[in-house]
Amino acid sequence: MDLELPSRALAFRDELRGWLRDNIRRPWREELRDPAATEDSLIALRREWQAKLYRAGYLGMDWPAEWGGRGATEVEKSIFEAEVALADAPTILNTLGIGLLGPALIHHGSEEQRRRFIPPMLDGSEIWCQGFSEPGSGSDLASLKTSAVLDGDHFVLNGQKVWTTFGPWADWIFVLCRTDPKDRYNGISFLLCKLDTPGVTVRPLRQITGESEFGEVFFEDARVPKENLVGKIGEGWRIAMTVLAYERGAVSLAASVRFGRDLELLVDTCRTQGRLTGAVREKLARLLVDNEVMKANGVRTLANFADGKVPGPESSIEKIYWSEFDKRFRDTALDVLGAGGQLLRQSPGARPDVDWAREYLWSRAGTIYSGSSEVQRNIIAKRVLGLPQA
Amino acid sequence: MKFELSDDQQLLRNTTRDFLAKDAPLEKSRRIMEHDPRGIEAPQWRQLADMGFVGLLVPESAGGQGLGPIELAVVCEEVGRVALPGPLLDAILAGAALSAAGGQDALLKDVAAGTKLVTIARADSPFAGTATEVTRFQDGRVRGRKYFVPFAATADAFVVVTPDGLALATPPFTVTPVQTIDLAQRFAEVTFDQTAARLGPTSLLEHVDRLAAVGAAAMLLGLMTRCLEMTLEYVQTRVAFSKPIGAFQALQHRLSDMLLRAESTRSAVYRAAWCLATNAPDTALACATAKAYAGDAARLVCGEAIQMHGGIGFTWELDLHVFVKRAKTLEAHYGSTEERLEEALAAAGW
Repeated sequence: MDLELPSRALAFRDELRGWLRDNIRRPWREELRDPAATEDSLIALRREWQAKLYRAGYLGMDWPAEWGGRGATEVEKSIFEAEVALADAPTILNTLGIGLLGPALIHHGSEEQRRRFIPPMLDGSEIWCQGFSEPGSGSDLASLKTSAVLDGDHFVLNGQKVWTTFGPWADWIFVLCRTDPKDRYNGISFLLCKLDTPGVTVRPLRQITGESEFGEVFFEDARVPKENLVGKIGEGWRIAMTVLAYERGAVSLAASVRFGRDLELLVDTCRTQGRLTGAVREKLARLLVDNEVMKANGVRTLANFADGKVPGPESSIEKIYWSEFDKRFRDTALDVLGAGGQLLRQSPGARPDVDWAREYLWSRAGTIYSGSSEVQRNIIAKRVLGLPQA
Repeated sequence: MKFELSDDQQLLRNTTRDFLAKDAPLEKSRRIMEHDPRGIEAPQWRQLADMGFVGLLVPESAGGQGLGPIELAVVCEEVGRVALPGPLLDAILAGAALSAAGGQDALLKDVAAGTKLVTIARADSPFAGTATEVTRFQDGRVRGRKYFVPFAATADAFVVVTPDGLALATPPFTVTPVQTIDLAQRFAEVTFDQTAARLGPTSLLEHVDRLAAVGAAAMLLGLMTRCLEMTLEYVQTRVAFSKPIGAFQALQHRLSDMLLRAESTRSAVYRAAWCLATNAPDTALACATAKAYAGDAARLVCGEAIQMHGGIGFTWELDLHVFVKRAKTLEAHYGSTEERLEEALAAAGW
């Protein structure tokens, strides 16, 4: 047992820390907290930040050198996420492109597809959204109905996607669509579709935060060139599942850093308000302990990566842990801050440090997206505990 | 970087598990718990000592194994898995205190060999909160009453914790055994009024308290892991409404949460052990975290185990209650959850 970072990883961390120190204009929470910030200005900032990271060689670090890679390991990728969280850097814009589609193209795409799509994905000139969920097909994703029918050298797409993150400002969408209505899993294919294709309509959906980070996408006889099929017809489900498994990393480590920082700020506020007593103290202590356990889970995953172990279905534990903690933390924050915790950032009197009201509302999303807590518990029950089918 | 145990540590785990499976099966342990008023069986204690468990942390020069916190976690987890009765953790911690004090090699040799039992006398009050009277150690004399002293009726000496420092008290004592829900543990009130040797300042206990956090949390990990295993077995064999009850999502989701608690405890326990072993900057917070979290997690996991077993889970016959009760002792002692939360706050500078 050895939980010390290897020297190569330490060198990478130190180099990255220096770069982040020199390149972050101001902490992301301050950008978010700025009363003058708009959805558009924040998106522009994230695009600019992504381009900066790309130029410095910090995106797609584990991809082949040809596609911007630097032979980075999962350990360095996880350190990157933790350091970016520690430095409170903006989040990049093309998270779904780089996190999901990039690996899909590298593992399952054609050479032409890689050449065409990867460079603009990395530099932020083409933003991707993910067309998976449909009305009626969320947790039960394989029941999806959006159809793609081959007509000459085009697929004709019909159907609807929903909860499409980044839909309202993306340029492209990767779509899971049905090419065989009779085969639940092997009847699904993976298509790339430009959002200004005739027959494609994007409608923003307003979220409980008031923002429209997600939307719905309608396909009405939208024609997608055949060469935009990733893999073969009927391989879509398998590609999607391997790619989702790729979206792992030691997420708990970065999450514990981010929560830890906000927790410190909450404690500072409580101290200033003379609230660091009795019941409030105990609540804060439990959050502190739970966050430290999250960190321990993250360190364990990181060490397993370094030891050449690829996480399996037990990584669902990490997803449940951080997302459920997020809700507990933000609930408690509003609870101990009192009524002032509910002030919107543009309101007189709002806290200058963290936009607590927005964080509170956002915390409701984490236990739903990327496989709800219920889906994660099903995965653990079946694939880790080996319990019988319900 | 590696979370898995080293080959030596893995070997220790396997040897411990094999030994306990053969020499400390639950039928035997329950006999000791339920019928031996001292809660400790001499031949078994001697065997544990021969295996090197009692002197685990005692330096080799004093007859011990000279091992550290990670090995402590490994052994305690295994001991938790079989709900072993007796003063193993108490003796290990007293051994660590005596080792830290120095100059006690003769006694330590007997402790490690299992021929003398020493435990730590700590609590000045049976209930949480400020004690009305505190045991003092002045002019070479220790005077006062200690509560919940582990295995006091059997012990040969005590490390007595007082605001004036640590004293090593030897017989005679006035010992009044008390009865708690946990059959695997024996406690007594001990009244001291005698001359005693000075071991050193109370600050010697800082390291011992961290070992206590790791050891107790690891035991809790073993207890909850075993409870989860027993429950998984049960829900796959028990049929209701024409299917194994483990097929019902209402149970599956709760079983998943039990695994989440157990595995998160595992991360916290072994990270704390590693921090303590390497004197990492996070040690104080990591140890407090492991103990506080493990106590809550074990209560949930062991409690759910009883619930999912239904009526049989509430019987004396089934072994589950032994685990639940052990967990309850470990939760309240070795730095209670509340004390460990306070420690975590202090470590974070809050």
